[in-house]
Amino acid sequence: MSSVNLGLTSSFPRSEALVSATRDLDRGRRGAEEVQALFDQETSRVIALEAKLGFSTVSGGDLQRQDLFRPFSDSTPGLEVGPLTRWFETNTFFRQPIVHAPPQWAPGAFARQLPLERLLETRLPPRVILPGPYTFVNLADNRTDLTPAELGRRWSELLALEVHDLAAHGVRAVQIQEPSLVVRPPSVDEEAWVRGIYDPLASALSEVDSLLWTFFGDGAPILPLLASLPVDTVGVDLADTDPALLTDLPTGKGLGLGCLDSRTTLLEDPQEIARIVREVNARLQPSEILLGPGAPLELVPWGVAERKLGVLPQVRDLLEGIPAGSRSTGEGAQASAGDGSGGSSTPSNRARGSARTSAGSSSSDRSRPRSAKGKSSRPKAKGGSR
Amino acid sequence: MSSPRLFPTQEVGSIAKPRWLLQGLKGQAPTPEALQELKRWRERTSFVPEHDPRLKKLEKGEIEEVGAHGLRDLGALFGLRYLETAGLDLVYDGEARRVEMYEFPIRQMTGFELSGHVRSFDNKYYLKGASVGPVGLVAPYHLDEYEFLRKEARRQLKVPVTGAYTLADWSWNEYYLGKQKGWKGRKARRAAQRELLVDIARHAIRPTLKALIDRGASVLQIDEPAAGTHPDEAELVVEAFNESTEGLDAKFVMHICFSDYRCLFPALLEAKRCRQFLWEFANRDTPEKDGYRDLELFMEFQDDREIGLGVTDIHRDVLESPELIRDRILRASKILGDPSRIYVNPDCGLRTRSLDVAWEKLTRMVRGADLARAAIGK
Repeated sequence: MSSVNLGLTSSFPRSEALVSATRDLDRGRRGAEEVQALFDQETSRVIALEAKLGFSTVSGGDLQRQDLFRPFSDSTPGLEVGPLTRWFETNTFFRQPIVHAPPQWAPGAFARQLPLERLLETRLPPRVILPGPYTFVNLADNRTDLTPAELGRRWSELLALEVHDLAAHGVRAVQIQEPSLVVRPPSVDEEAWVRGIYDPLASALSEVDSLLWTFFGDGAPILPLLASLPVDTVGVDLADTDPALLTDLPTGKGLGLGCLDSRTTLLEDPQEIARIVREVNARLQPSEILLGPGAPLELVPWGVAERKLGVLPQVRDLLEGIPAGSRSTGEGAQASAGDGSGGSSTPSNRARGSARTSAGSSSSDRSRPRSAKGKSSRPKAKGGSR
Repeated sequence: MSSPRLFPTQEVGSIAKPRWLLQGLKGQAPTPEALQELKRWRERTSFVPEHDPRLKKLEKGEIEEVGAHGLRDLGALFGLRYLETAGLDLVYDGEARRVEMYEFPIRQMTGFELSGHVRSFDNKYYLKGASVGPVGLVAPYHLDEYEFLRKEARRQLKVPVTGAYTLADWSWNEYYLGKQKGWKGRKARRAAQRELLVDIARHAIRPTLKALIDRGASVLQIDEPAAGTHPDEAELVVEAFNESTEGLDAKFVMHICFSDYRCLFPALLEAKRCRQFLWEFANRDTPEKDGYRDLELFMEFQDDREIGLGVTDIHRDVLESPELIRDRILRASKILGDPSRIYVNPDCGLRTRSLDVAWEKLTRMVRGADLARAAIGK
């Protein structure tokens, strides 16, 4: 069995307290400092949850990010924040980036918007989410003379500078979001330019653990293209991908399986996920399996998201043949920080209110972070890290 | 029900609630600004007579004396007169009594639980429900508001009702999806979604529409803003509409907005009891791009139903000139080849605009329709 890692491979929803606070902020009823303090507090809660569940990296859930592109379209010369646009097949919207001129890197602008201090307080490697070049080209309103291939390469050049900068800040894992690759996949004729737009990123990505994540669409037909891109691991959303059709993963490539469906509040069945993972592993022999949410988890409320993440340690226990509840030590004994208290999950379990997660936790072995390339390995995360 | 003149104007749904209403519903006496707003709009719309005892109490801040019921009646009267005074031919009350278009109907049904807030964009959220059991109806809804308006209206009423497809799409589907065996992939989700929307249509929307029609409603607008969310679900949109209106006799309008309309064709043509498609167009109409080109779909598929033509952008405060609105109407007339098919309306509900901006947009829209009539010579 390949090594199995767990991670929050998406944004996390805002808590009801944050919903209320940010509404108040918009209405002038609360000050920015007070709301920022709450963002900091809730980000720390997400980081603690990630550590508790034995994830291999921490992200903090990107609570403050308004959408995938915003940190860049707010601060990147050449870009402007555009109109509200539907975020794929959801009832959520993003501000379409408008490209007026070839985008220029704004040194440090993105890093300043990240909760890096909090992420680095843990002993787990921070992972940061970036908008991939194909998705950027696909969703931005390009008002320049640049061809899609030229704009994609330009975006990759900018991302490469960003990755260098993030690495200098201690970020050791980078996740490239590429939903458009599966929702509006390139034709066979276009695959060459897709590979081409990733060329400027290859060197930078070799310095960190790199993950390319797809969601909202079927990843199976395009897996060979995904695997040809210069990343360590490629991820697909099992809510839209038939795992039986995943084939052709090159040796040495990791495979991410988005096994938590953010479009339903039903709790996933760990047994079913474990069965799929075993089958996929036997067929593809990936260098690593990363389990996480498929589509952004912020499509469900905080409590549901928390309980869904609690399924992941159960899956890993099953894969490793460890009886539920027998591995846990210290703080990791309870996967769901809110109200879970043991019990098995079934497909009909409801994740919103009373559904409970069985014990799953961060034992010392499985919470050991992967060492980032070119970096010394950090101390392994103990169960008590918070 | 054809209108006697060309280019009848109509509202689409919600307008912003006035401050005195929002404050009053929270049990708060109106602030000086709210009272000023009340005075200004009362003078402009005459929505309530000066001697009305509720008005006197409201002005004195005696909110408990006015009561929630009295406040809501005043709010509905305000919405109705606001739209009538702006000059619209088809009106309602600006959805003055409704929380919003999803939560209100869901609260009238059984089989749902409101589960938590989900971000729509930026710092905007909506309360989302989950289907946790078979869909049922506590009682047909919107009846009180309709009966109140029927007595008060001086223009034709058009009743907006949130459609079954949208209610299903904006809900989590636990009950029906939970019945699906095995991995909950796209196919299972689709099958469960179909079950959910058909049950909403049959057991909640249809009885509500029937009750409204029994009370005299003759024009009903089924709101399906989610219709274009999933490009491959056009058949489900139509199935929801047909199930909702099965066996009913009224003029049904289907409102869709901010969608890729092309993906709905040709399935949409099977919405047999739909007499008018009321769509957003102005938002997509720019100097660089003709936002009305999608009207060509009706020619391409040889469909001659009425069109509710969105001529006013509801997302921006920029005020369209009457001349621009006239030109949009004439452009649409040219594409459709028959001006008598066109009704004129905003892209969608105007509730995200201030009352002042919405007023300007609506009155300019009415003037634009006048100019278009004059240009055509009718």
